[in-house]
Amino acid sequence: MRLLLDLRRISEPAERERLAREADENGIWGVVVTGPQGGECVEASAIATTTHHVTIVVDVDGNDVHPTTLAEEISVLDQITQRRTMVIFRGTSTSKATIATLLSGLPSQGVILSPPPAQASIPIQSPEDIPQTKLPEDVTQLATIIDQYRDSQTAFLIVSWERPIKELARHAVGRAASTDFPQMVADMADQIDPID
Amino acid sequence: MDMGIGLWCLQSTATSPRSFGQAYQELAEDARLAEDNGIHSLWLSEHHGYYDGYCPALMPAAGAALAATESIQIGTGVLLLPLHEPHRVANAANLLNEQSSGRFQLGVGMGYRPVEFEIKERDMSQRLKLMNAGLDVLRTTTQTPTWVGISSEKAAERAGRRGLGLFISGAFSKDVVNTLIQAHRTAWAQSNPSGDTPPPVGLLRNLWIVDTEAERRQALDWVRSSYLVYAGLGWGADNTGVDFVSQIETSMDEVEKSATVGSAEEIATELDGYDVDLVVCRIGYDQPPRTALTEVIERIGRELTPLVQDLGVQW
Repeated sequence: MRLLLDLRRISEPAERERLAREADENGIWGVVVTGPQGGECVEASAIATTTHHVTIVVDVDGNDVHPTTLAEEISVLDQITQRRTMVIFRGTSTSKATIATLLSGLPSQGVILSPPPAQASIPIQSPEDIPQTKLPEDVTQLATIIDQYRDSQTAFLIVSWERPIKELARHAVGRAASTDFPQMVADMADQIDPID
Repeated sequence: MDMGIGLWCLQSTATSPRSFGQAYQELAEDARLAEDNGIHSLWLSEHHGYYDGYCPALMPAAGAALAATESIQIGTGVLLLPLHEPHRVANAANLLNEQSSGRFQLGVGMGYRPVEFEIKERDMSQRLKLMNAGLDVLRTTTQTPTWVGISSEKAAERAGRRGLGLFISGAFSKDVVNTLIQAHRTAWAQSNPSGDTPPPVGLLRNLWIVDTEAERRQALDWVRSSYLVYAGLGWGADNTGVDFVSQIETSMDEVEKSATVGSAEEIATELDGYDVDLVVCRIGYDQPPRTALTEVIERIGRELTPLVQDLGVQW
């Protein structure tokens, strides 16, 4: 299971960028960003420019927009992120299907994206496909929640987290990725290298 | 007058193939280089569904260039407004300006390729109506400085009446340019009798700084070959009366005549007399090697910009 840090409710652009950079530096798999309708990929592009590794999950409003326009924006974003784009799509199933086809590099009704996506195919999810949760500060409670989602075949989990990103990385990333996470190592790391 | 550079189209053409990832990476590098050399602005250009990846989504590209820089202006030269949903354009423009402390410039135009209107399921015969409706939405939803790409006096007057800036095509003579500007300012003054400063005017020029005759010939060949892209796009140089596609050599001769190629001093002399606020040097050709492009960016900033800063319109 991969963790996606939710930045959608962080109102200050500088704070979003700081958290994205910390997520990038600490090995968080993805950050979730959005913007006003039409500005979602603009926000994602700014975050991509200040990071190198983290996946940029862009939450887009697919209503009242031609699907090709939205697909073009996402495809350009994927060139900017250098294959680090993933999409949460809000809109009709018809539009989602069209956009998914285009983001796979395939033609839809005679239209093919140019430039094509940088990835072979850009993942596109509906909001209901990805559970989200606010993680507790208490490490034991956090471990229980992560274990529950991981063991229920969850591929991605969107998390809200208000403490240092390094703490999230230390206690949750390895646990999300493994069924035999050695909590003792994380606890010892807390003693050797305390996080403020 | 201010000096900008354009048009960054982010293509991988048949004549100069490259990876798109490289193109977008170099956009950020070029914006930083231009900024470091005192250039006012960098402008992007849009088309849809063309084989070479000509950038179809300027707002995310502008976001990347703005995020990579601190002071240079980034503009769209131009975004094809009838092919977009105007409220989304306004939202994106507002966000870009919020993120960049007001460094985003929104240039808009109508578009001319039938296939692009087909892709977006819009009626090309209604493009003026779509454009005006879009400008109405922008007027009430964004404070972003807005420029309109034009090629006729009527279009210049429409922009003037709306209080919008002009972005004038690169292939016009000085007389034609100043006629368009006069039409713009007259219409603006009639609609804004109490206004004191007319909206700005930007001029696109095919331009290259050279030292020798051999370099001059090379630069002119780059200009000529760059118009192969436009021939492929089906663009016609309306003002020349020449069919750009079927009379490609004649068309390129016309383009070559309008190009401004020479030393910085010669170019400054040529630009004197254009009553504009901004000149966008069209240097984003696909053929020059990267070293030549970065060199001309540096020279425009260091050599040309100081020579022209007192030229053009003074308010």
